[in-house]
Amino acid sequence: MGAKMTLGQFLPGDSPVHRLDPRTKILLMVAYIVLVFLVGRLPVFLLPAAFVVGVVLLARVPLRYLGSSVRPIRWLLVFMFIINLFFTQGRTVLVEWWIFRITQESLRQAVFITLRLLLLVMGTSLLTLTTSPIVLTDGLERLLKPLAVFRFPAHELAMMMTIALRFIPLLMEEVERIQKAQMARGADFTSGNLIVRARSMIPILVPLFVSAFRRADELAMAMESRCYHGGEGRTRMRELHLHRRDLVAAAVMAALFAAVILLSRVSF
Amino acid sequence: MIELNEISYRYEGAQESALSGVSLTILDGEMLAIVGHNGSGKSTLAKHLNGLLTPDSGRVLVDGMDTGDEGKLLSIRQRVGMVFQNPDNQLVTAIVEEDVGFGPENLGVPPAEIRERVDSALREVGMTDYADRAAHALSGGQKQRVAIAGMLAMRPEVLVLDEATAMLDPEGRREVLDIVSRLHRETGITVVMITQHMEETLLCDRVVVMAGGKISFTGTPREVFRRSGELRELGLDVPETVWLRDALAERGLALPGDPLTMTETADAICRSLLNN
Repeated sequence: MGAKMTLGQFLPGDSPVHRLDPRTKILLMVAYIVLVFLVGRLPVFLLPAAFVVGVVLLARVPLRYLGSSVRPIRWLLVFMFIINLFFTQGRTVLVEWWIFRITQESLRQAVFITLRLLLLVMGTSLLTLTTSPIVLTDGLERLLKPLAVFRFPAHELAMMMTIALRFIPLLMEEVERIQKAQMARGADFTSGNLIVRARSMIPILVPLFVSAFRRADELAMAMESRCYHGGEGRTRMRELHLHRRDLVAAAVMAALFAAVILLSRVSF
Repeated sequence: MIELNEISYRYEGAQESALSGVSLTILDGEMLAIVGHNGSGKSTLAKHLNGLLTPDSGRVLVDGMDTGDEGKLLSIRQRVGMVFQNPDNQLVTAIVEEDVGFGPENLGVPPAEIRERVDSALREVGMTDYADRAAHALSGGQKQRVAIAGMLAMRPEVLVLDEATAMLDPEGRREVLDIVSRLHRETGITVVMITQHMEETLLCDRVVVMAGGKISFTGTPREVFRRSGELRELGLDVPETVWLRDALAERGLALPGDPLTMTETADAICRSLLNN
């Protein structure tokens, strides 16, 4: 359990997508989100879909990983589809039965919303599938750095993420250890209703918090011993450089943008 | 050189002082052990060496710099590297080489030089093959070696090990001790080992015995273990060889020349038996 947590859903690899600068990837993802919302005609969804397929092929991400990123929201997708199908107002009635009415407009809306959500989740999970959390944190810190002018704590945020990435697997192991210790003393975590089960978590959470605070204290001391004094005057071992592939990726996204706007807004 | 001048320290809300009037000079290039029972003040003393704690009274000077001087803390901490007891709670980042680079990054060392320092520090502790591994998947001894590498990357003059082997299995303890004594031998780095394991003091030039926030006595390992009775009164163990020597003396076989190591002891026993 612990080992899986560290790396999130990251799939190590050595494809052009993996090698892209994390800053490029984050910005491209933001652009991609906007792109999905710019689609105004049903057939135009083929463009972002083609983009996702292209990235998947290029990054050699097995399809089941994309599937497993969609699975958690499958009920949300169904729910959104039904809500929009029945509750969007429209004029051209397709089917009407008792209080239910499906119109051309509501059908269109339902399909649009569902496709958008699907494409958003698949596209954004490609970022976390092809970028290690550490590199991602690094990219985020550097992207947010200019905001420090407005006192935005970019470095602190990144440091917090770094420490979280280091300690999450450790705390997961600890939960397991405490759980086993409590079970050895006759604790029961699996029976009873929701409230009973929630209450049985208390004997796990209390020791977990105590130990987390102790760890935090010791870590702070270790960090001080290693001359940590905030982000000021700090250098980084790994430098980020933009390469030609970053430009190519940006150009592809720009072309995609132009195509989507053209095909969605202009009538032929 | 680190000079502690009559330092006293009391934790907030505590009844008794953790340290009272301790004076000690740690010389360049020596390997020093500080031993004592729980609550003897040895860990409190260690935390004074790089300004994690500052004394209520008295002064700590690191190469002439006062640890009470906020402006000097970074250069003091760069000089005095500290490795702590719990291997899990002192590695900051999830990947080994990034963690080793953490100190130099904080010091503002240029990226290319950090790379160099990290590579050579990992080589020194024999962890080069683990450079891109996840820190939490390592064994305790390996984590401590990474922690030592993290200190070496700051190019310190003094390495303080605050019970750094206490939570390790025998294998891990041996790994860490081997590396520390080799570093001391090859680079001449000053080493201060705070420990409860008395056998570890045999590696050192000088031993400081602490009790009740004071220094009880100091000396070479041979001198200190000559006073094994006093050590036992302070609740401290003695190495097996010293125990054997004392037990033999009690039964009328006094060994000449205060033997300490296994070979010395064996030789001394043979000689006394032959003489008898």
